[in-house]
Amino acid sequence: MPRPALSCPGCGSSNIVDDALYAQAQLVCVDCGSVVSEGALVDDPVGGSAVSYSWSTAVDKKPCANLIKGLQRVKALCRSLRVHGEIENLSQTNYRQAYQHESFIKVSLQKKEVLAGCCVLVSCRLLNWPITMGTISCLLDADPMVVGAVYQEMVKILNITAPIVNVTDVMEAHSQEYKICSPQVPEEFAANSKDLTKRAVALVELAADSWIITGRRPVPIMMAAIYLAWQSLQPTKHRLKFSLDKFCQIAKVNKHKAALKRITEIKEVLCKLGREIPWVREAVTPDNVVRQVEDILQHRYALLRRALRTHEEALLEECQASCEDSPTDDTAPSEISEPVAQTKNSSSAEQCEPNAERAKRSGDGDADPCTALELHGDTQESQVPATNWGKRMLFAPPCVIHPKKRRMEQPELKDVTGDEEISDSEIDSYIRTPQEARDFALVQKMLSASESEKS
Amino acid sequence: MDSSNDEALDIIITNVVATFRTRCHLNLRTIALEGINVIYKPDMGKVLMKLRKPKITASIWSSGKIICTGATSEDDAKVGARRLARTLQKLGFKVRFSAFKVVNVLAVCSMPFAIRLIDFTKKNRPIASYEPELHPAATYRIKHIKATIQVFSTGSITVTGPNVQNVASAVEQVYPLLFECQKPRCK
Repeated sequence: MPRPALSCPGCGSSNIVDDALYAQAQLVCVDCGSVVSEGALVDDPVGGSAVSYSWSTAVDKKPCANLIKGLQRVKALCRSLRVHGEIENLSQTNYRQAYQHESFIKVSLQKKEVLAGCCVLVSCRLLNWPITMGTISCLLDADPMVVGAVYQEMVKILNITAPIVNVTDVMEAHSQEYKICSPQVPEEFAANSKDLTKRAVALVELAADSWIITGRRPVPIMMAAIYLAWQSLQPTKHRLKFSLDKFCQIAKVNKHKAALKRITEIKEVLCKLGREIPWVREAVTPDNVVRQVEDILQHRYALLRRALRTHEEALLEECQASCEDSPTDDTAPSEISEPVAQTKNSSSAEQCEPNAERAKRSGDGDADPCTALELHGDTQESQVPATNWGKRMLFAPPCVIHPKKRRMEQPELKDVTGDEEISDSEIDSYIRTPQEARDFALVQKMLSASESEKS
Repeated sequence: MDSSNDEALDIIITNVVATFRTRCHLNLRTIALEGINVIYKPDMGKVLMKLRKPKITASIWSSGKIICTGATSEDDAKVGARRLARTLQKLGFKVRFSAFKVVNVLAVCSMPFAIRLIDFTKKNRPIASYEPELHPAATYRIKHIKATIQVFSTGSITVTGPNVQNVASAVEQVYPLLFECQKPRCK
């Protein structure tokens, strides 16, 4: 049957017919006999069959090789952390479950390794084995941010609620990492690990009471605590001069930069308490406070109470000295005698507040130094409790002591409705005049020309 | 719950994000050339324009979609957006201000007490989540008003929501829960 609109490449005739040769369809030119086109010999789909081998029932489905490797990695991690068998089993179950889930089946092998670490982490948390995310990231040698992201996704998928780890619990496990016992380091640097841990835990508890731990990563805090504990166990000149860098080198741990800041903060807190020790004559500074650490930690609750009392007395005196009204002077002495007698600190703090508020209300609107002390240039009364509790309290987190300066609200904000007229002159200030535009374009050209000359 | 306190809680709106369309194609190079306070980002395909009077930064795409950020109230955002549309009009584009919508509002509030985050998370599982090693705040998501609240242990909270009304109701909802888990501020 002649095929229209086809021409033979050999002779140019349009007389082409369908001719099947041995069941292979062909288009043949009648005049010269050349084959114009032919069909496929076999009707198999290109690139293999429509059903892949792994989907067919030809072979039993073997467990994925990466899954097996992942499970072995989980086992290895558990062994290196020396956790008990239950945690190992639980983490393997979790890993198998998470691995099969659609959000983890197709991720990179690196992420699958991180997933293995996260499974170990969550199993440790569920079975009350204290461990930090920082330790896991170190073990896996992975970015802590990536570990965090994978951990959160995994917890969402597996629907687990893991209890939160306390820093004091993790302290013991963490201090095992520091190789600072007698056979490992020279005698002058050695420390008994039990004593070291005990003192470091006490330092961490002190830090927890004074707002150093809240909101911070646990590992640098623990490092700072162990370093200070080690220094204070034998406060020789040599040890006191030993920097954090060198300490980490001999203990064979990786140094964290944040640990330096934590050391300064803990030393400040120790100084505040050290000043209250009755038998210390010299001034307590961050340089010499390490010698007093043993005494401070032993009597820390008593020193804490004394420090808070002294601080309140100092505040009351300041308020009293600067307030000009007599009613407040009468009430103030009675209030001073109370804080000395009581041990509960909350109510004495509240007594300072009504004193200050009375002063504010009875003041004649002149710049009262007492209120200036509390308001820091803020005129909104409702902000007073928020901004000044950092100055009022002896211990407060750094973000409250040094608050960010908020830009002052413009008064015209109240009149804005959203639909006002916008004048032309206002808008013109945002547009270049044609001359300016030409100059700008010229300068851009010159700049790009000089840059291309240089390169 | 607010009326039971002596002091009203001050909710300070720090950022309002709004979008609108100009219904016409914009030539970014012209804007970059003839506009003042303009930064051209050819690799991202947009132009950043900063206005002075309501302090706003706008990302302008050539399709005519514009996102304004940095306003401190919804009305402010609208004035800024209209000023921007007017500027583009003056530059010669046939701009029609349309589809103005406030997309996100960020507000900050400070409680007069500190908060025990671990308690708060335990009482409000699974709406609240807290991972101290990753972020110092606990996150509390209210699904039906689409608001997210980040609670810090110092008592400050940041609230993000689709509009100012939702943000205010989110603060009202979360206040009693925070009040239960407060920590005395001394010590």
